Amino acid sequence: MTESAAKSYAAALLPGTLPAGPNAWLNRLRAAALERANALAVPTTRDEDWRFTDLSPLYKTAYQPATFPTEMPREAIERLFVPEATSRLVYVDGHYVPEMSMTGDDGISVGTVVDSVRGAPGIAEGHIARLVGVEQDPFAAVNTAYLQHGAVVAVPRDHQASRPVQLLFVSTQPERASYPRVLVVVERGAELSFIEDYVSLAGGAYFVNGVTEIAVGENASVRHVRVQRDSEQSFHIATCGVSLARDARYASQNICFGARISRLSHNVRQEGEGTDCKLDGLALVAGRQLADTHSSIDHAQPNGRSRQLHKCIVDGAAHAVFNGRIVVRRGAQRTDSAQSSRNLLLTGKAHVDTKPQLEILADDVKCAHGATVGQLDPDHVFYLRSRGLSEAAARNLLTYAFAAEIVDRIPIASLRERLEELVTRRTQAKV
Amino acid sequence: MSNTALQNLIDQPYKHGFVTDIESETTPKGLSEETIRLISRKKNEPEWLLEFRLTAYRHWLTMAEPKWPNVTYPKIDFQDISYYSAPKPKKKLASMDDVDPELRRTFEKLGVPLHEQKVLAGVAVDVIFDSVSVTTTYKKKLAEVGVIFCSISEAVHDHPDLVRRYLGSVVPTSDNFYAALNSAVFTDGSFCYIPKGVHCPMELSTYFRINTQDSGQFERTLIVAEEGSHVSYLEGCTAPQFDTNQLHAAVVELVALDNAEIKYSTVQNWYAGDENGRGGIYNFVTKRGLCKGVASKISWTQVETGSAITWKYPSCVLLGDDSVGEFYSVALTNHMQQADTGTKMIHVGRNTRSRIISKGISAGKSNNSYRGLVKIGPKADRARNFSQCDSMLIGDACGAHTFPYIQVQNNGATVEHEASTSKIGEDQLFYFAQRGIGPEEAVSMIINGFVKEVFTQLPMEFAVEATKLLGLKLEGSVG
Repeated sequence: MTESAAKSYAAALLPGTLPAGPNAWLNRLRAAALERANALAVPTTRDEDWRFTDLSPLYKTAYQPATFPTEMPREAIERLFVPEATSRLVYVDGHYVPEMSMTGDDGISVGTVVDSVRGAPGIAEGHIARLVGVEQDPFAAVNTAYLQHGAVVAVPRDHQASRPVQLLFVSTQPERASYPRVLVVVERGAELSFIEDYVSLAGGAYFVNGVTEIAVGENASVRHVRVQRDSEQSFHIATCGVSLARDARYASQNICFGARISRLSHNVRQEGEGTDCKLDGLALVAGRQLADTHSSIDHAQPNGRSRQLHKCIVDGAAHAVFNGRIVVRRGAQRTDSAQSSRNLLLTGKAHVDTKPQLEILADDVKCAHGATVGQLDPDHVFYLRSRGLSEAAARNLLTYAFAAEIVDRIPIASLRERLEELVTRRTQAKV
Repeated sequence: MSNTALQNLIDQPYKHGFVTDIESETTPKGLSEETIRLISRKKNEPEWLLEFRLTAYRHWLTMAEPKWPNVTYPKIDFQDISYYSAPKPKKKLASMDDVDPELRRTFEKLGVPLHEQKVLAGVAVDVIFDSVSVTTTYKKKLAEVGVIFCSISEAVHDHPDLVRRYLGSVVPTSDNFYAALNSAVFTDGSFCYIPKGVHCPMELSTYFRINTQDSGQFERTLIVAEEGSHVSYLEGCTAPQFDTNQLHAAVVELVALDNAEIKYSTVQNWYAGDENGRGGIYNFVTKRGLCKGVASKISWTQVETGSAITWKYPSCVLLGDDSVGEFYSVALTNHMQQADTGTKMIHVGRNTRSRIISKGISAGKSNNSYRGLVKIGPKADRARNFSQCDSMLIGDACGAHTFPYIQVQNNGATVEHEASTSKIGEDQLFYFAQRGIGPEEAVSMIINGFVKEVFTQLPMEFAVEATKLLGLKLEGSVG
């Protein structure tokens, strides 16, 4: 793609003018984002960060924002509810649906960016666009230009939320774009589990461009489950920025099944000492899908710890990309970091590009990473066959087991069971 | 401990820093088609080689300097380099006694066994002094079994068909910025041809030495191993201490045909610049081996301790079925040195195997990066790769980085990569101390243990030299 074409794509996604909202700070932020989005070129495979992910199929269509759906598929949406959650925000085609959302009486403040969040005034203004900036990233800039009803979850100091919060993003209209936005602020000593769930109900080609920001306060803990099951013709591009204050803990499971082309940039910055970060990922793709996960764990302070396990199961002629960057800054002594990228190729046409990456500028550290790419171990298949399983059943079982290692780590039981089922369905090869 | 003690260990001044006072014939600075024609004329080259150079030069003009390596340096002015420098021709050398005594003394200081030692050492040395091959020893003995080992300029005249057939066949003139530059202006280098079924009776060795200030060296090495042959090739480098940076952009091409085996070993100890990063060699090298035949094998072993900037990726293209590629590397950086080095293993054929063992040691304010690519093509059924990249950090101002690219397009392949970073632990030193071994000796033993896997791959003579070299860099802590 030529440079001028790359430049104009972001602009083509944008409205000419922004309707002024009630919040002056938000209007200013959106105007600045609009300006950046108009100035920035969208990435091509010539950019190192996008080398393996060719977005030209996306660039063929400048998807326009979806309108509020005329018919709400209520029942289908309700089936996606996680029963454990007492707070829930539902977005359909990027639009907030208050009548399907609920705010539990569990001490967590849940609301949207434009309305002041009950119990936590000023929280959006103080935190939004801080962890995912608009300066360099054209997709984040476009998302921010459209920012209005983004989800805000705030947990006050020392409050331990016992029930998870569910953020549900449903797509029902093909040929349209939506801009989900999430801000999570967990204050000192507080705890939160939340689910970010992206689902397609009608299929078709559409574009989801999301931004999530998570600020974890001192000695606070966040468990984050992200599930992406968009339609196999859709495009899903998202950035998730996380900051960890002193002694903060963050654990996430990122499960990716859907989209023709998906990309998640997951960036964690350890801003205080003694933080702990766990990133788990599973990409299960088939057909002609492409799943790209870029993660970055930035150890900027001493005594940090991180663990990462990313797994890809690639079927059909699909393509998985993983780029895991671990940075240990000067002075971040006694950092302990381990990263593993494991990839299973099920067919001869499946293909994977993985790049675990270490950048270390401190000497008293323990860092290791590993990567493997291969197929199912014939010995394992043979063992199961010797126990009377058919070849297909043995292979299915082993593939399921490979995926289950990640799914089993999801702390919310009902969601875990549903995903186990989904994984089972997706790993059953035709017998 | 004793980061100070460690620092003393590695702060050894460069021991090979002296300038040989020899008259050399140097072209004026600058690069143009005219310079290239001049080089070609001076070397009395055939028309096709001039064409080869000009094609490369014209392509080079369209290329941009690569920016992706994890290194920083001031912009190089390619017009401020003299591209040809030859010791003044005296007369045709009949025997070793005719070699310039000044030159001989230089090599003696470096410990090159050019005299009787060469018999004892059993090494044929093709000495490159700046850009022109001065003398070639053992030619006769090699000729008996049909091995051709000479400078590339001689080969152009004596074996034009072979050179023409293989030159640029592994590293095309348009391959990358520095390879294109080398193809345009290379002045000399080694050529080696092992005929069918011959097991080369001795280790072949070239001693490179950059001498004239401001003259970049552009060597070109071409090794061809015919069916079923075997050769082990050694390359060693030292350079005198200069203050301005010198550019070195060599190209090495290896071709292994059916069942042939090439083992290429390097010990690189060029001037690395002083503690503040002034001076030192820029070592931008393209090395690539082509396993063209079935069951062929190419093995790279390198010990990189010198140069201000090292930027090289000895690679293997595993084209033939059942072929094998290996890469063993130790890279030591200190002070302001920067190294961005690694390998590429491109699996094309079936049942191809590759193994990568890389050990990086960073000290001072240096930066040491491993950058590697393992690529399994769609037809490379049952391909196998194992990579291990370990880093050791000494002091808190240095950096160690790992950038492994793994691209797999075949589900029958098995690829494994692991990397770790560590420092010398207090408990390790304590263990040594309670056995009565002081910290300096302990550090040296730990480092020797760390790199052992690579050093055992070196040929005997080189293993000695390499151990000495690390010792040299680490010596001085005692007392």
